[in-house]
Amino acid sequence: MSSPVADLRALGAAGLKEWRLLRRYPSLFIGFLFWPIALPVSYVLQADGFAGGSDAARDAFASRAGTADVAGFLFLGWAAYMWISMILWGPGTALRTDQIRGTLEAVFMTPASRLVVIFGPVVSQVVWAVWMFTVVGVVLTVFFGAPIGPLEALRALAVIILAVPALYGLGALFAAVVLRFGEVGAMVQGVRGVFTVLCGMSFPIVILPEWARTVALTLPPTYLIADLRGVLLSGARLVELLPDLAILLGLGIGLCLLAVVAFRRTERHARRGGSLAQY
Amino acid sequence: MSGMTGPAIEARGLVKEFETGRRTLLQRLRREPDRRERFRAVDGIDLHVGRGEIFGVLGPNGAGKTTTMRMLATLLEPTSGSATVLGLDVVREAREVRRRMGAVLSDGRSLYWKLTARENLEYFAALYHVPAAEIRSRIQEALETVRLDDRADDYVERYSAGMRQRLVLARALLPDPELLLLDEPTVGLDPQSARDLRDRVVALRARGRTVLLTTHYMEEADQLCDRIAIVDHGRVVALDTPAGLKRTIGATEVVRLEVGSTPHAQHGDTPLLDRLGRAGEVKHTARENGTLNVTVHTPSARDFVPAAFDAARETGATIEHVEVVPVTLEDVFLSLTGRALRE
Amino acid sequence: MTVQRADLAAEWRAALALARKELRIARRYPLNLANEVLQPIYQFLLPSLLLGATFLVGGRAIGLEASTGTSDLAGYLFLGMIVGGLAGTAFWEIAFGFKREMDAGTLEPAWLTPTRPETMVIGRAIGGLAIGGSASVVLIAIGWVVFGASFSAGTWLALPALGVAALSMIGIGYLVSAAVLRMREPNFFVDATNFLFAMASGVAFPVMVLPDLVRWVAFLLPTTYALDILRVHALGTRPIAPEPIEWLALVGTSLLACGVGVAAFRRTEHRMRVQGTLGQH
Repeated sequence: MSSPVADLRALGAAGLKEWRLLRRYPSLFIGFLFWPIALPVSYVLQADGFAGGSDAARDAFASRAGTADVAGFLFLGWAAYMWISMILWGPGTALRTDQIRGTLEAVFMTPASRLVVIFGPVVSQVVWAVWMFTVVGVVLTVFFGAPIGPLEALRALAVIILAVPALYGLGALFAAVVLRFGEVGAMVQGVRGVFTVLCGMSFPIVILPEWARTVALTLPPTYLIADLRGVLLSGARLVELLPDLAILLGLGIGLCLLAVVAFRRTERHARRGGSLAQY
Repeated sequence: MSGMTGPAIEARGLVKEFETGRRTLLQRLRREPDRRERFRAVDGIDLHVGRGEIFGVLGPNGAGKTTTMRMLATLLEPTSGSATVLGLDVVREAREVRRRMGAVLSDGRSLYWKLTARENLEYFAALYHVPAAEIRSRIQEALETVRLDDRADDYVERYSAGMRQRLVLARALLPDPELLLLDEPTVGLDPQSARDLRDRVVALRARGRTVLLTTHYMEEADQLCDRIAIVDHGRVVALDTPAGLKRTIGATEVVRLEVGSTPHAQHGDTPLLDRLGRAGEVKHTARENGTLNVTVHTPSARDFVPAAFDAARETGATIEHVEVVPVTLEDVFLSLTGRALRE
Repeated sequence: MTVQRADLAAEWRAALALARKELRIARRYPLNLANEVLQPIYQFLLPSLLLGATFLVGGRAIGLEASTGTSDLAGYLFLGMIVGGLAGTAFWEIAFGFKREMDAGTLEPAWLTPTRPETMVIGRAIGGLAIGGSASVVLIAIGWVVFGASFSAGTWLALPALGVAALSMIGIGYLVSAAVLRMREPNFFVDATNFLFAMASGVAFPVMVLPDLVRWVAFLLPTTYALDILRVHALGTRPIAPEPIEWLALVGTSLLACGVGVAAFRRTEHRMRVQGTLGQH
């Protein structure tokens, strides 16, 4: 049985490996600067088109969204979308990528805990998430005059940290499913599509029909987006968001456990069928 | 205009230089001098390939064989020198060259695995401008030539490596070419598949086609080729028939000795090698795990071997193993360059 | 038949064969084909529609009507989506498709044939437009049935504009291919330029909301005019400029795209033959 210290080291090494692989693709770095700005800006421009200079239209938005700050609303929604995309395409596909490359079998032959295998790729992603949220925060403050002071930034950081288990648990669960069923591209697009439509990335979920709102409230990104908007645009304090944050944390623990179970089943299936090395 | 009776390929002073390193956009905009190093992959190759022959280009990896092939195939522009294929200039008349030539420059990865063999060939037949009325028959003929006609409607992803390589050859036959360029056609194939492919190549010559073949397998070159150019460091170092090349080293047999040392061998290998050199021509020596391996060229092994044993006794060495083999192209290459083909 | 005509006929057959090959391969990835229809819906249409719904006053898009002349939110977005898909052909089917073939090793044997590489761009365009065109028909049907988008009978008058825009995508395809074939990792470049191209064409919002500093880019793109003409006839929106001028601009920018594109592509092809980078992946 491997020791926790050795496993922690292995976790760090797994993260470092993913980081080093990422470094070989310099265009990715440019992407992490471009997309957090370009995508939300396009929606801000679209919102300008939908408002058309009409006060009534802007008031309608403010009453539904709970804020008149259209840019802040959209930037935060799309930042969450990009974080989710990063997770799905990164850790979400890392196992499948290893299988395609032929390195998965070698990893499975080591004594490292399977938790290292599942959550290792996540470690290198944290750097990008921090970078992306920083870019979004700077752009909102400098170019759109959003009132984000140190206190608001700390509250936002707390929300993000509390969302980490949920989002990365989702990524790990996705990785196990993808490893089992393949068809990476279609699955990523599908899951991303569901979150885009249901989690309120570009709209307040109050405008969704009842059944869709119910589904939305089972998805972690819904809480992440709503709470980030709450602390940064409406000045909400963390204590006011406790119920939401508790649900987010609970979902996170549940998803991580589900990921471990799913992964164990996938591994058993792969060992029986000899598909660890198959592509 | 294509010369109907001229050589299939004529290359004079063919040179290809590549730049190594990068020149950034900033350097280009500033019009800074190009300080990149230049590397000569092909350094003045002359070739004359007659019609209807199988001509081999033999050399180790990195000798310039593939670069030469790609220039003749019009995929790469020479830095200097000239080349004609079937009387057509490879730079100025490139399209015309491509109409008359088929080439196998890559392996089964250059096929569409999600299509069947027939679908792959239908596509390439159109690219080769095969007349619409002839496409079906041309494809059938090509498949029969490589013996894939019974698997024509299977997806390429289900083919073995050998079958894919045969399909690549079938593709090269679609334009009914007068000339075929085959670059390392049997690399990565199992012995049976490789032998099968070589049989196809011989059958093509029987039908009057000219084949230019590159390989680093000397047995393949020896077996298949009417004439061979040995290439090293971008130059032709020898050109002749296989028998003619072997005659150049002035030996008919090669003797390989494994010599162990004894407590009495006090002055190293030199005394032994000097004595061996008087009885034959010592071509290559190498020490491996305490054993000295010596390769000697001799007109008669029958005369040399007893002399070798005498030499060993006189110098306190022990000959542990003797092997007598006929001269091969590997020995020719060794003699010309001092290196083995497969180093 | 003269030699030139026979040659042209052979080139045309080669282009069609390439398109047919693309369609055959596409058929073997049914999920990807389904995504051609689904992805624009969940990735663009629904988020935009839901954002637009947030601005409705009494169930009407009065803000959109003020900026464009129509309150048909779904119709406005659907037409943008169609033209966005058309633009995507140039970037993903043509340019990125070339790069994909190069990396897979299937580009080199194609360039060993007498078919001109320029013809291969046309073949890729035909295949891409066939797939994209089919997806567009399905999307319009979905728009009409599910989202209540309605287009006037005059829409037919705008279809030639769409045709010219489709041809201009060949020129854009040449230009982007010329860039992509020189890059080791073109994914970000293709993704980002496709996105910016679509946004500047007015796919998601009226081009007049673009800041003054960058609005001029929109006026260089053929798709801007094609989309505007389409929206004017289908939805009765306010045109950017009088229609004869828009037509002139559409044809002019299309010709420019084709001319510049072909020249850039030929330069890249020559460079690849000099440097020997065709077989690299």
